[in-house]
Amino acid sequence: MSNSIALAGYSFTVEKEVEVSGEDLGLLQEKLLQLNWGVQHPASGPMRLKLWVDGDEVVKVDPDIGYVLRLLEKLVEYRTWINAIVNVERACFIDNFGTMTGYSIAAEKIAGVEVPKKADYVRTMLCEAGRIVSHLIGLGSFIGVLGVHTPMQWALIAREKFLDAFEVYSGQRIATASIVPGGVRYEPTGKFIEKMVHAVDYLEREFIPRYGEVFIDNPTLKLRTKGVGVVSKEKAIQLGLAGPALRASGVASDIRKDYPYAAYGELDFRVVTREEGDAYARYLVIWEELVESAKIIRQAIEGLPEGDYRTKFPVKVPEGEAYVNVEWARGCFGFHLVSKGGTGPYRLKMRAPSFANLWAMPEMMKGVKLADVPVIFASLYMCHGDIDR
Amino acid sequence: MLEEIKEKVKSKFGFESEPYDTNMLLIHGERNKVRSLMEFLKENGFNYPHTVSVVDYTPEGKGFQVNYVLENVFEKKFVIVRVELGSEDLSVPSVCDIFPPLQPHEREAWEMFGIEFIGNPRLEVMLLPEWASGLFPLRKSYDFKKHRKPTKEKK
Repeated sequence: MSNSIALAGYSFTVEKEVEVSGEDLGLLQEKLLQLNWGVQHPASGPMRLKLWVDGDEVVKVDPDIGYVLRLLEKLVEYRTWINAIVNVERACFIDNFGTMTGYSIAAEKIAGVEVPKKADYVRTMLCEAGRIVSHLIGLGSFIGVLGVHTPMQWALIAREKFLDAFEVYSGQRIATASIVPGGVRYEPTGKFIEKMVHAVDYLEREFIPRYGEVFIDNPTLKLRTKGVGVVSKEKAIQLGLAGPALRASGVASDIRKDYPYAAYGELDFRVVTREEGDAYARYLVIWEELVESAKIIRQAIEGLPEGDYRTKFPVKVPEGEAYVNVEWARGCFGFHLVSKGGTGPYRLKMRAPSFANLWAMPEMMKGVKLADVPVIFASLYMCHGDIDR
Repeated sequence: MLEEIKEKVKSKFGFESEPYDTNMLLIHGERNKVRSLMEFLKENGFNYPHTVSVVDYTPEGKGFQVNYVLENVFEKKFVIVRVELGSEDLSVPSVCDIFPPLQPHEREAWEMFGIEFIGNPRLEVMLLPEWASGLFPLRKSYDFKKHRKPTKEKK
């Protein structure tokens, strides 16, 4: 009590009490503080969130995007049918296989080309490996926003094994350009299969048992994420959430199961859903999908048929259009491809799942505490490459 | 299920529709009735909007085409609503109050193609920088070479 103000000889008297209402509230409104969250953020990439806070409560959020706009949809119009994959895969380089597969299926539908079964299996294998790679980074950066950066490094170790397999397959570790209209570009060699099996083995037998406890049963993580950013089933559809965020709210929407493409129709896997709809549920969905994807890769390797891995794709494709959805790592990726009989696409519209999640976010962040903003942001699992395109 | 929707749309609005793909129906809509059509589809379970995809057909002598892609996430069916716009009047009523997630998609369609979505509260640049507002870069008439910044001369 020795440092109490009263003891120090100061006294306060209340001169006037004013109750604020009506128009005077406008004065209080000006006390809202605008904060900038970004432009560079380690969890995602270049974007800025304009946050208006009242104390530490978020009143309004406005994302400011466009820092990595490349206008891929326009660039594709200047390419040939095959060349366009280099632009399509750059929607997000982390899981580049999903976008290339979607574009290729759309182009094949217009051209009436049927791909060999082997190509379908290789595509499935690569898509799932891409999903694992992307999910590992997503999990690592989720914990990263909470201030713990070591799990990210563990996730990257597991990711490296898959990148080794991609390197053996296509010569590139990240932007592989390996799936083209008409099939896949390279023969899946024994060495590639061996590397892939090695990577899946590491994931299933080393990574998950060894680090699973830190990733899942982490008391700090649970404390920060449980009950944060809760979205009910109806609300998730109303907001238009996509991918793992939608499934974490109890909506079993998975393009691989609902509208099977590539070889998914012949393989056995489960659609991971959770009922809670909070940030922790979204995180768990991503984690459990790792296991499912590893299962799919094993099945695809076992069932890999003999034969060609690529057919001839025509230089000029007849007039027509197609709308194709694929289940990309971050959700449903839609391709609206239009052909006018030329040597390249006339128009390609890419519907990006991160874009949908981003614009659902302002509604989810209303009224939360400032400290929960990074948690909700990271749990929506967004990538700036495909928000801006 | 899609057959049922097809017949209902035909009898209620008089719009033709055709199968687009497996599990996908294409409805040829009209600008003036697009809002009531969207409300009707929402009531019939198509409550998950995917995107607004605009195609520029001006080099073909036609105008623009606006495609709304909707999904029924429980019955796993898709519907594409297509509205053709003449090149002289590029406006279409906004559906962002019926489907709030489509608001940013309409905004993107406006900034890339210059289609006026009447009723959308926020038609301002989102992805493009401020100075590029009104250039409409995804139109076929946009010549990107004209807007290229001069490169530094090599020494």
